[in-house]
Amino acid sequence: MLTNFFTIALRNLLKHKIFSIINIAGLAIGMAAALLIFQYVRFELSYDKFEAHAADIYRIQMDRYNEGKLSTRWAAGTAGIGPVVKDAFPEVTSLARLYDWRGVMSYQDKEFREENMYFANDGFLPMFSSATTQGSITGALSNVNTAVLTTSAARKYFGSENPIGKNLLLNKKEPFTVTAVVPDPPANTHLKFNILLSWPTWVKWVGDPMTTQWGWDGFFAYIQLRPGADPHQLEKKIPAVIQAKWGEEMKKSKEGIVVHLQSLGNIHLSPNYMLEAEANGDGKAVKFLSIIALFIIAIAWINYINLSTARSIERAKEVGIRKTLGSIRRDLIGQFLFESFLINSFAVILALLLILACLPIFNAVAGQSLNLSMLSTASFWSMLIGIFLVGTVLSGLYPAFVLSSFKPIAVLKGRLATTSHGSLLRQTLVIGQFAASVLLMVGTFTVYRQLNYMQHQDLGVQITQTLVLKGPRVMDSTYDNKLTGFRDEVLRVPGVNSISASTEVPGHKVGWNAGGIKEVGADATKARQYRVIGVDYDFATAFGMHFLAGRNFSRDFRSDTGAVLFNESAVKNMGFNKPEDVLNKRIDFWGKQYTIVGVVSNHHQESLRESYDAHIFRLIPDANTYYSLKLTGSRDSWPATITAVKTQYKSFFPGNPFDYFFLDDRFAEQYKADQQFGETFGIFAGLAIFVSCLGLLGLAAFVTNQRTKEIGIRKIAGASVGNILSLLTRDFMRPVLLSFLIAIPLTWYALEKWLDNYAFRISLTPLLFIGPALLILAIALLTVTTQTLKAANTNPARSLRTE
Amino acid sequence: MIKITELQKTYRTEEVETIALNKLSFEVKEGEFVSVMGPSGCGKSTLLNILGLLDDPDGGSFLFNGIEVAHFNERKRADLRKRNIGFVFQSFNLIDELTVFENVELPLIYLGVKGPERKQRVEKVLDKMQIMHRRNHYPQQLSGGQQQRVAVARAVVNNPKLILADEPTGNLDSSNGNEVMTLLTDLNEQGTTIIMVTHSEHDSRYSHRIIRMLDGQTVTENILI
Ligand SMILES: Nc1ncnc2c1ncn2[C@@H]1O[C@H](COP(=O)(O)OP(=O)(O)OP(=O)(O)O)[C@@H](O)[C@H]1O
Ligand SMILES: [Mg+2]
Repeated sequence: MLTNFFTIALRNLLKHKIFSIINIAGLAIGMAAALLIFQYVRFELSYDKFEAHAADIYRIQMDRYNEGKLSTRWAAGTAGIGPVVKDAFPEVTSLARLYDWRGVMSYQDKEFREENMYFANDGFLPMFSSATTQGSITGALSNVNTAVLTTSAARKYFGSENPIGKNLLLNKKEPFTVTAVVPDPPANTHLKFNILLSWPTWVKWVGDPMTTQWGWDGFFAYIQLRPGADPHQLEKKIPAVIQAKWGEEMKKSKEGIVVHLQSLGNIHLSPNYMLEAEANGDGKAVKFLSIIALFIIAIAWINYINLSTARSIERAKEVGIRKTLGSIRRDLIGQFLFESFLINSFAVILALLLILACLPIFNAVAGQSLNLSMLSTASFWSMLIGIFLVGTVLSGLYPAFVLSSFKPIAVLKGRLATTSHGSLLRQTLVIGQFAASVLLMVGTFTVYRQLNYMQHQDLGVQITQTLVLKGPRVMDSTYDNKLTGFRDEVLRVPGVNSISASTEVPGHKVGWNAGGIKEVGADATKARQYRVIGVDYDFATAFGMHFLAGRNFSRDFRSDTGAVLFNESAVKNMGFNKPEDVLNKRIDFWGKQYTIVGVVSNHHQESLRESYDAHIFRLIPDANTYYSLKLTGSRDSWPATITAVKTQYKSFFPGNPFDYFFLDDRFAEQYKADQQFGETFGIFAGLAIFVSCLGLLGLAAFVTNQRTKEIGIRKIAGASVGNILSLLTRDFMRPVLLSFLIAIPLTWYALEKWLDNYAFRISLTPLLFIGPALLILAIALLTVTTQTLKAANTNPARSLRTE
Repeated sequence: MIKITELQKTYRTEEVETIALNKLSFEVKEGEFVSVMGPSGCGKSTLLNILGLLDDPDGGSFLFNGIEVAHFNERKRADLRKRNIGFVFQSFNLIDELTVFENVELPLIYLGVKGPERKQRVEKVLDKMQIMHRRNHYPQQLSGGQQQRVAVARAVVNNPKLILADEPTGNLDSSNGNEVMTLLTDLNEQGTTIIMVTHSEHDSRYSHRIIRMLDGQTVTENILI
């Protein structure tokens, strides 16, 4: 029986080559695409879930309110929140606290700028990283001036030496004794640290009250709950504790704090809150790509169903004969399922080859690092087998039932209406396929339009031709003089136009977040949060900032040490409307008073995904975070300039690594994820459309073949080639056009959702839909025409003869 | 009306070359009713296809109303065909998905006749063929005789000057066959030229003249009246 199934199935595949090729190719592309995307999605979903206690660990995410209005959503909340929660609730078994730190670390002659350092308390290592390669985690961070390194950090500083007990120097000043080495955090964790510094050191620096108060944000707090404890119940009990502890004080300034418990495994695909340890993944991108994966594989399944049922007429005779020969329905279903099994098997093999061939391309485009090791994971194979089984059964079953249900008499008498049979289902499925294609195509166009829009919008600040140096961390009391000397020398380097020092440059969120700022004399309830950027005298000019009122800081006014600039949003934040209104107003800023001497236009500090922030520019002439050099000339001339600048930097700031970047490159990096999403989306959308057209091609081939006789008759009745073409084309284009009607509202809705991610976004216009729709229409038309043109040109005398 | 001289048609397939028409010549005058007879495979259908401008000859001359059409391209042939020629086939060749009315309407659509006039002309011819009551039926729901009457209706709805019939009674019993032959005779009496291929001596007696063919050539011509 099985061999009989097999020979007949194989013969059928060989006999109907177009049918087989279209199905196998379509299914293989669908499978390969779906598997690749699912692997990517699986990786994104796997973040932090590998931790042994992942299910019981929660991050305390904190929202700050001002007069009842949400002002800032922090990933790292206020200093005191962790201990308060830990102490109040027995179900909280431990607390991990982190505070982000940067600086230059050195050991002997090795020095590196470290950006992934944290002060971490005792609770951190047991919660997150119980394994060590050297030393022990117990008490590793309990004492002042101790540090824990990752394996690669240890190797970087100590090579093959044993690091335990050795001292690292922070900014050439503060020694830290290495107490343990832990494995490198894996790629799929949101907490990627190199070096952990002991919490008691931090407390020694800032004093104990500073780590328990409620007004200073930026402290990560992770809590581990007793297994089985309900986080929602806990979350509900926290406000009362906050109220008891800080309620009185907060009432005075009409402030408020609301905390949420974020499950560790959910952090990576949640929105980005203030001061995330690293930029989160894009939950919407993951969702959209999963949908594409489903679309592509579904489109391939639809092709199979469509082509099989379309072929049913050809096969009806075979079924009729088999039935009259006593074949029972079950055998027939078996036969057809077996064919589906065979086609899907070939497709699986081809899909695996495609994955092997396309993996590097996929990685490059999607910015992924999937490798062949996924072929050895159970999840990959269960996915593959799942797709295979669902495909075989789902796409095989319906045609099998349709074909096997033919009545032998009807079939043998040729009483099956040729084109109408199952054509409603086929049309519906084609409509579905093309609706999906339209969605993907319009989606691709929109993603690109949005990207293009963001990249070409005026930022309100000049970021080209800008070389940014990272300022020195290792310094002494002579820094101010050195900076002046350095500035003078750098300005003498050919190709350097200006140099300005600042605490921030455009390209990421301002880290200095200051609360409690208000107009002098105003009520305490008027205090607001602002993001503060420290700049020198030359910054605003060098960056081409636009003054709406007042003036820039000036060396001619000695009083400017007490001056600030506001941006438009800051003006609004303080409750004023016109820029002029705030000029010469004085503000309270952490116990000191400053005068507003100028107002600048809002500029895009971050990507256009983010809205404008309320910025205060404070005059800090000796800011040491960034030095921005405005260069003249072309990129080719810059290496020489950089070498010259480096020589000066090294001589003025010895002990500091010379690190630099180009500001426009850094700014553009914010769009890398969007760009990758766009490209990935585009490629898979293209594949989806390709597979849809494969199906349409097959369908057109079969249907025109079936209509040969009708076409002949029509030609004899006087139809021209044009008449026939338009007749056939109309029939094929109707479902395609219908699919547009269905797809457009859906697409509109989906894209609105996606664009809502962006503070500055394009608006959807009909034009965005017309282009892709016409393109799809043209592709579909071309596909169909290859078949219809042939049919329309056949000599009717021949086509009728074959009857 | 039709004058063919030394008409030639050869079919080439990969293995064989079949000479279907071998220097065939004859003439048909306007208003004539001619039968073409001969053994299977002697080239009758081939001849009819060429006369009907469905296919082009390899050689010889074909004058249609005095115009040389042997070398017409497909577009010109199609144009001439839809204005002047109606076809009737042994296997009816109706479109299963269209109703009787729609099948008959087809040639008028392709001639660009407007809706109301089309309706009137279709109804008139359906009436004449006594098939009006079946106008909304599909071909599958009709008997063979009825189907062939629809086919004849479709062939004549655009008032062609020439009707080409390839074994029109071949699939019909004798009474249905006679009915169709009567219809053709009526049409001929109203002035339509008819060329009919048939295997039936009985049917051939309805015509004025019989052309007998063998291996792509005319052998005899009998004049009946
Ligand atoms: N398209 C074709 N390709 C190849 N050979 C053909 C083709 N059409 C007809 N023939 C051959 O040409 C010859 C004449 O065929 P034709 O159909 O004209 O015969 P016929 O007289 O109509 O026969 P019948 O009475 O059986 O219908 C036959 O030998 C046939 O096999
Ligand atoms: Mg014949």
